[in-house]
Amino acid sequence: MKLILMLGEGMIVSVQLFLLTLLFAIPLGLVVAFGRRSKSYIIRGITGIYISIMRGTPLMLQLVAVFYGPYYIYGGKIDRFAAAIIAFTLNYAAYFAEIYRGGIESIPKGQYEAGEVLGFTRPQVFFKIILPQVVKRILPAISNEVITLVKDTALATVIGVSEMFRVTNNEMSRIASIRPLFVAGGFYYIMNLIVAQLFKFTEKKLNYYR
Amino acid sequence: MIEVLKIYKSFGGKAVLSGISLEVNKGEVVAVIGPSGSGKSTLLRCINLLEKIDRGTIAVENEIMVSTNANGRAEYADKKKLRDIRLKLGLVFQNFNLFPHFNVLKNITEAPVSVAGTRKQEALETALQLLEKMGLEDKAEAYPFELSGGQSQRVAIARALALNPDVLFFDEPTSALDPELTLEVMKVIRKLAEEHMTMVVVTHEMGFAREVADRVIFMDNGVIVEQGTPEELFTNPKNERTKMFIKGFN
Repeated sequence: MKLILMLGEGMIVSVQLFLLTLLFAIPLGLVVAFGRRSKSYIIRGITGIYISIMRGTPLMLQLVAVFYGPYYIYGGKIDRFAAAIIAFTLNYAAYFAEIYRGGIESIPKGQYEAGEVLGFTRPQVFFKIILPQVVKRILPAISNEVITLVKDTALATVIGVSEMFRVTNNEMSRIASIRPLFVAGGFYYIMNLIVAQLFKFTEKKLNYYR
Repeated sequence: MIEVLKIYKSFGGKAVLSGISLEVNKGEVVAVIGPSGSGKSTLLRCINLLEKIDRGTIAVENEIMVSTNANGRAEYADKKKLRDIRLKLGLVFQNFNLFPHFNVLKNITEAPVSVAGTRKQEALETALQLLEKMGLEDKAEAYPFELSGGQSQRVAIARALALNPDVLFFDEPTSALDPELTLEVMKVIRKLAEEHMTMVVVTHEMGFAREVADRVIFMDNGVIVEQGTPEELFTNPKNERTKMFIKGFN
């Protein structure tokens, strides 16, 4: 019990990393997905390169780059936690964008046309008709990413964020025991059980139509 | 009510409409027949602003939707005007295109409420009346996946009618339906014809065209080959091409 309390602070930081990343990455991913579908080939190109880099290099490297980058570029400094949020957000937005894009492109053209002939404006067509259907279709893919994010928050330890994994490591050395590691494992596992349940519940809720 | 004058449309160099002119009068039911690829659907889609024409003129109730400018290219009216014109037109698709995540009532009321600004209560009442007319009053709460094809198409018709359009277009409304369900949908269209709803129906149902239409248009290769009353066109076609086509159906 005492151990859990000791590690509690790390848990809170990990949960914060997780929630804030989702908060920013979910909408940013949508913006990037729009960019991928833009009429301008410049915007398509830029977002394409962005996605390619984010998916093609290690997240750990990206964390280090965001944290140390400002120093080497202009001698500036960035808060560890903020750097972690930025790196996670940029990385996850790229994955989300591709999932959104796949979802958006899977909606039949007839849905757009039906909306259009009924006089809906383009934003109305997208937000009233297309997006709700996209959400239903991409939920399983998104849940995979979100579960991975829970575990990826541990990577923030490389730039010294006092999240669960770092606190656990410290505690292990301090008390010379492997027990903190099991507590940490339990924490990630339970958090993902909750995430999985939430997605299962949401998927069920959206089962009212096909 | 609808005037189409010498419209041209091509897809990637392939001419689909080659100078079509057509007039639809108030209260008239026009059937458009012709082989696949003759441009019938494209014609409807152009009038309904789902495709842009290359040149020519389209006007709805004397409001110019598109006309040819001095450079010989189609020039469309401004957005606001196009929106106004669009609300005068209704289109029913071959594969219904109901919104799967809305129930039947919401499929019908969503556009009146959020596009035309009708009050919700009023839109609901209209929707229920339309459903009754379609013989679907018990399906108000159902979701599209729970409906048969014929029911879906009738909901789609109700959805189009809810905006109270001046003209209703049908793009092969029964091509995705088996014969029994086809009859179900035809009955509804016939009912609308009796109420003098202005309609343009692209169809492969010759019997229907013959029975319900005031005028039948035969299209082939992007042009109107022949048009006339069902009597003229079906029993006494003048053009060889029309003769061949109609023979193929008898």
